[in-house]
Amino acid sequence: MKWGMVIDIKKCMRCHGCVAACRVEHFLPLHITWVKLIAYETEDGGVLDVTTYPVRCNQCKEAPCVDVCPTGASYQRADGIVTIEANKCIGCRYCVIACPYQNRTFLRKSSDPGYFPGYPQTGYEIKGKKLYPHQRGTTTKCNFCAEKIDYGLENGLKPGIDRDATPACVNTCQARALTFGDLNDPNSNVSRLIIQRHGKQLQAGLGTDPSVYYVDGKHGGNDNKAPEHAMTGSHIQHLSSVEDRAKELFPWLKRDNE
Amino acid sequence: MQARRQWITPHEWMIKPTQQTEWIEGQGILIWMAEVFSALGMGLYLVSIYLDNWWGALAAWFIIIFLKLPFHFFYLGRPWRFWRAIPPFTDAWKTSWIARGMFFTTVFAGLAMIQLITTYMLNHNMVSEAMIGPVTVLDYTMRLLAGLFALLTGIYCGFVMSYCKAVPFWNTGLLPIVFVVMGIADGLALILAVGLITGGVDFHAIEYASQWALILNVILIGTYLINASYTSATAEYSVMQLIRGKVARAFWIGVILLGILVPLVVSLLSIFVLPFMPLLLIFAVIAHTIGAFALKYCVLKVGIYRPIISRVPVH
Repeated sequence: MKWGMVIDIKKCMRCHGCVAACRVEHFLPLHITWVKLIAYETEDGGVLDVTTYPVRCNQCKEAPCVDVCPTGASYQRADGIVTIEANKCIGCRYCVIACPYQNRTFLRKSSDPGYFPGYPQTGYEIKGKKLYPHQRGTTTKCNFCAEKIDYGLENGLKPGIDRDATPACVNTCQARALTFGDLNDPNSNVSRLIIQRHGKQLQAGLGTDPSVYYVDGKHGGNDNKAPEHAMTGSHIQHLSSVEDRAKELFPWLKRDNE
Repeated sequence: MQARRQWITPHEWMIKPTQQTEWIEGQGILIWMAEVFSALGMGLYLVSIYLDNWWGALAAWFIIIFLKLPFHFFYLGRPWRFWRAIPPFTDAWKTSWIARGMFFTTVFAGLAMIQLITTYMLNHNMVSEAMIGPVTVLDYTMRLLAGLFALLTGIYCGFVMSYCKAVPFWNTGLLPIVFVVMGIADGLALILAVGLITGGVDFHAIEYASQWALILNVILIGTYLINASYTSATAEYSVMQLIRGKVARAFWIGVILLGILVPLVVSLLSIFVLPFMPLLLIFAVIAHTIGAFALKYCVLKVGIYRPIISRVPVH
């Protein structure tokens, strides 16, 4: 298995749902985002066009960040996901420098002033720091919600198909611009999309072989419509009983903290 | 297709060439300092053991141990985990230049300390007649090995940066060579300072070697910049920043004028025109050291990432 993602930049409508869902899923500090959006306007023959690129860690097969890490804190799992063992990270930031996609962030004190700087932490933040601790002085990045994938596989779910085994950003995307699945399976949804719609990797010339592909709508049809029951993960922020709801929504985190 | 404008400006680094900041701004200044002291320590040690100058070697050892290493240490986000980057606690040395550098520096520290002790004992007749032979062999072996590891300690800093494909200006094999040659020129300048304090240094010979090292530096830096201009649009943008942009003042005044031209002119004057003038030498040493700081500052400062979305023009 090698997990990958296909992003249809023609479908993305810049709702920032993936950014919010990721923040909620991982209880990210205020100034840290693992998913980022960039939009720019182009003109082609007098016709204006707006393009949006959602970017996150590309989970490169030949990841420079893994090669440069002096402690082995950054490593690649057997399923291709590049992850960081925070307890081994010394905070040298070599991986931040070496990542051609600039998708690693050093978590400094100023990045984590609390959701309401100057005020005491909310119950949500306190619980979040226990469920998903982020260590200051180390590097963080997207991990394709590896804990959800592991939990799903242990429980017979299929990542990319079943919501509880699929990255939060993919679940929450209302436009269904994001597709997740196994790149090694030629029949998976991602493999088919890449072949049929000519998936492209960012900065492929660097030889990093990213696991995130982009399709731009110029090839193939719109065969990946959003289901009616699409739910945004950001709704969780407004729940009154944070602790119970978090345990209900993130059972894979609950296991490790009980 | 031309980009008209982009928004969501907090992430404009994705489509524009953007300067790296982690290793030069804020706490990153510590990396700049550590890089400079790596070059100074390496250069001074190599020059000192070649000229058999014990005080110079001692000063170089102090620079590496008490200046370079502490700056690296305090830069780390989790300093007390530093040992995790040193073999055998990590096997990342197979691919990581920082892990290799930690190894080189640690070994250099040990070998150079033994060399300093053996040379001191031999110089002060503290070795018995029977032991002079073995201690001399040990001393020369340690000089050779410590010199090798000093060179590796100086050169790894260049490899750390040249390994980064994300920053095209750094991503060239010339960078470690530039750092080593500049480091040796720095060493020649510092040994003059050591000689002014302790004596026992042939100033004329060092000035002569220094001028050739500086001329080689000019050639290497020129080659490096010309090479970078043709490598990629982003590397060319870095060169433009260096010679005409925000970093131009540091480059022209710091690197070229103070780091190269002033020491070169002083060295030529010392050899051909003027008698021995300590004040002029001190001025040249200070100018050269400022040049060493400026070179690393400039290289780190114009470390610019290539834009992620390549369809937008670089500039």
